[in-house]
Amino acid sequence: MANYFNTLPLREQLEQLAKCRFMHLDEFTDGVDALKGKKIVVIGCGAQGLNQGLNLRDSGLDVSYTLRAAAIAEKRQSWKNATDNGFTVGTYEELIPTADVVLNLTPDKQHTPVVNAVMPLMKQGACLSYSHGFNIVEEGMQIRDDLTVIMVAPKCPGSEVRAEYVRGFGVPTLIAVHEDNDPQGEGLAMAKAYAVGTGGHKAGVLMSSFIAEVKSDLMGEQTILCGMLQTGSLLCYDKMIAEGVDAGYASKLIQFGWETITEALKYGGVTNMLDRLSNPAKIKAFDLSEELKVIMRPLYNKHQDDIMDGTFSSTMMADWANDDVNLLGWRADTAETAFEKMPAGDVEISEQEYFDHGILMVAMVKAGVELAFETMTAAGIIADSAYYESLHETPLIANTIARKKLYEMNATISDTAEYGCYLYNHACLPLLGDFMKDISTDVIGRGLSMDDTGVDNARLIEVNAALRAHPVEAIGSELRGYMADMKKIV
Amino acid sequence: MTITVENLSVDFDQRFQLHNINWAIEDQHHWVITGTNGAGKSALAASLAGAGDITDGQISGLPERIGVVSFEAQEELIDKERKKDDADIMDIISEGTPVRDIIFNDCLDPDTAHAMIAKFELEYILDRAFRKLSTGESRKVMIIRALSCKPQLLLLDEPFDGLDADTLAMLQGYLNELVTKVPMVLILNRFDEIPEFITHIAYMDQGELQHQVDKSDQEAYDNLYQLLHIKTSDLDIPEAEAESAIPKLPMDQPLVKLTDLTIKYDEFKLIDQLNWTIERNQHWQLSGPNGSGKTAILSIINGDHPQCYTNDIFVFGFKRGSGESIWQIKQFIGYVSTALQWEYRVQISLRNVIISGFHDSIGLYTKASDQEKKIADQWLAVLGMSDRADTPFQKLSYGDQRLLLIARAMVKHPPLLILDEPCLGLDDMNRQLVLALIEKICSGSETSVIYVNHHAEDKIAGIDNFLALEQRQK
Repeated sequence: MANYFNTLPLREQLEQLAKCRFMHLDEFTDGVDALKGKKIVVIGCGAQGLNQGLNLRDSGLDVSYTLRAAAIAEKRQSWKNATDNGFTVGTYEELIPTADVVLNLTPDKQHTPVVNAVMPLMKQGACLSYSHGFNIVEEGMQIRDDLTVIMVAPKCPGSEVRAEYVRGFGVPTLIAVHEDNDPQGEGLAMAKAYAVGTGGHKAGVLMSSFIAEVKSDLMGEQTILCGMLQTGSLLCYDKMIAEGVDAGYASKLIQFGWETITEALKYGGVTNMLDRLSNPAKIKAFDLSEELKVIMRPLYNKHQDDIMDGTFSSTMMADWANDDVNLLGWRADTAETAFEKMPAGDVEISEQEYFDHGILMVAMVKAGVELAFETMTAAGIIADSAYYESLHETPLIANTIARKKLYEMNATISDTAEYGCYLYNHACLPLLGDFMKDISTDVIGRGLSMDDTGVDNARLIEVNAALRAHPVEAIGSELRGYMADMKKIV
Repeated sequence: MTITVENLSVDFDQRFQLHNINWAIEDQHHWVITGTNGAGKSALAASLAGAGDITDGQISGLPERIGVVSFEAQEELIDKERKKDDADIMDIISEGTPVRDIIFNDCLDPDTAHAMIAKFELEYILDRAFRKLSTGESRKVMIIRALSCKPQLLLLDEPFDGLDADTLAMLQGYLNELVTKVPMVLILNRFDEIPEFITHIAYMDQGELQHQVDKSDQEAYDNLYQLLHIKTSDLDIPEAEAESAIPKLPMDQPLVKLTDLTIKYDEFKLIDQLNWTIERNQHWQLSGPNGSGKTAILSIINGDHPQCYTNDIFVFGFKRGSGESIWQIKQFIGYVSTALQWEYRVQISLRNVIISGFHDSIGLYTKASDQEKKIADQWLAVLGMSDRADTPFQKLSYGDQRLLLIARAMVKHPPLLILDEPCLGLDDMNRQLVLALIEKICSGSETSVIYVNHHAEDKIAGIDNFLALEQRQK
């Protein structure tokens, strides 16, 4: 199999990368009709598989699960998940031939063997759905010509997909049709119906392409989303310890700090996140982030380049073939870091204090978001995609760190994201070594002293203007506006 | 001086009873007694003045001179006057006792009486017969008598009723001057008439003194206000919205039919072959110990339990698992439970919480129509929360949140209202509030109710079908 993206001419690569459109609610008036009465068989019953299936069934669709014969015979967790919830479970041989739609919700790594196993069993003219395009785009999986291939990717963990549906809402969802595999021209209608079935249409659907999804998703997750937060956690913690900040306090400031400061990001973008700081702290954070961007830009470019030309995926697939030696080793190393091992102290930290004492963390988020966005758009990814894969998802990942630090983050994200996160982390830690030498506790751990509250008006105006003029802010306020229209709460 | 009422039960000609009243009126304390009509407010005041037969308990510390104003006392006096007339065997027309004598015979404090006559501007009636006065006039005479007996306790039953604004202000001002001299007990139906000097509020229902609230306890005061509002306001529950009306159900089908319902977790059967049919306009009480499966059954009906797809469930015209969506089911159901309250953790205003009931959502994700807003505001009025329409839901007290969720469940007038332990976790007053609201709902709509409760005392009028679950052997 050859990297699919690399087989396309540049013109088509650019066209595919630039696909991303926010769909309006009135495009979903057909509801789940395109899937009504069709037999949907889900492969895999992990968090995404189970929760998407529950939603689809509650939307009136016919859902059952297929698992490998061994998983059924040994009554593994996936079998239990499905049967406890009253779903029919059967082997590939039993269920795939009856399926009108097959949802492949297994981990990326298993896609090639899974698709190779089910494709020969699939009905003529059936539909195969993915929730991530890696297998098609990076591994170059060739799907039988008669099959329709779509992607429906809820942009949240499986548990959220369910929780939001039950509330009567949904999670933002990305849909795409693999144009090489849309023999009956039904792909879009089915993808839309699927998004309605999981509730995604209420929260906002982006129509994208397999290629745009893969190239932007990989970039976002390994740089700003996971990589930057992991690297930032380790650097900030070690710095505070070296400067004599109480270890429990330092641990808590970081574990919950990312979540608190990115909550401000979610509501009002980078601008609002920095507006939460005092004026001198804001200028400080701005200056630090400018410095960080200069240092880290080559790294972001390298990640994007490696993703675009397939270097990243081939390196990772080599590790898959090598029993995940790198991944497992890095995972073990992370568990041994000082930050990971120090539990959060039993100290009160107010919401505002997370900002005031975490100026460097704010600067890191700003630098990471802007760099990821700039790098993606420079590579031909449309601003909408770049926004979702950088700024929009950062609070979601920060959330997982708040739950159980880096372990939880790495356990929740895909293996692909985890692998990329370690790559980034290993490169970024040494890269920021000199920068961190000049850092002291005024920007991480203790906050600015009360003596330096004065600011220069001209400088403040400059900083405010620069914050607001960044392109991620323009697209962000537009997309958040759509979201707010849909989610008219408060 | 403290007046102490201990375990007092009083019978009034077997027409009405006060039950087990415990109460203390301390020096410098001034009480208002509230409650609905027939709650026993006047009876309690009257028992302090010696009315009724004490069947149990006692009142101690009562002073010698008690000034009483009440319709009963007024009526009694008028009656007495009338009897004088009837008893007159002489063939002359009796004029009855003039007001002057009514006031000044046996008067201990003529100065006050004169002063009050002047304040009420009643000089012109002094020579008229008492029984010929208008109700308002005779009420003023009663007030003057009560205030001019050198009272050591004042019992004023609706003293402000029928007074014009100026007179009212004058009287309140006068009572205000007495606060350091004599303890007062006022009976008032309206909270907005409670004078500044009142220090405590009592709430009566069904002959019991159910709540005693220190006026400085703002939260308890607000709750009491709301309870009285829901109990006494003549606001009906609002209509459902016409345009988004729930589809009509066929009349000849039950609302719910569970056939051989079995809910099991691994090998443990929580529910084993239960059959239950809920017909239209039936109200049901579902009871059973913790863990007997009450909530599980309700969530089967509501579509939240995954095993609704593996059982023979018929709800609102749908056989479950035949291609219907849960939203098609939920549109027929209003649901309230503690779990819902826990899950309702979104940033949302009170008005929008109610509107979310039209969409069966937790949070509101569509633009509310003007009609929906109007109905939500009517509900807020019923709840006595009109001034808080834009307050965030999370700022409400626990009990108020529950009330609001009940309104949310009812806003669309669903054919079935499921109340899963609606009083769980609530204190006495909030429990009463919830029950008052539920009764209001039950009496004013065609909704069938399934009511789950542990507390035997939390009965709802009109429920006459019972399903009792037993503890399953684990």
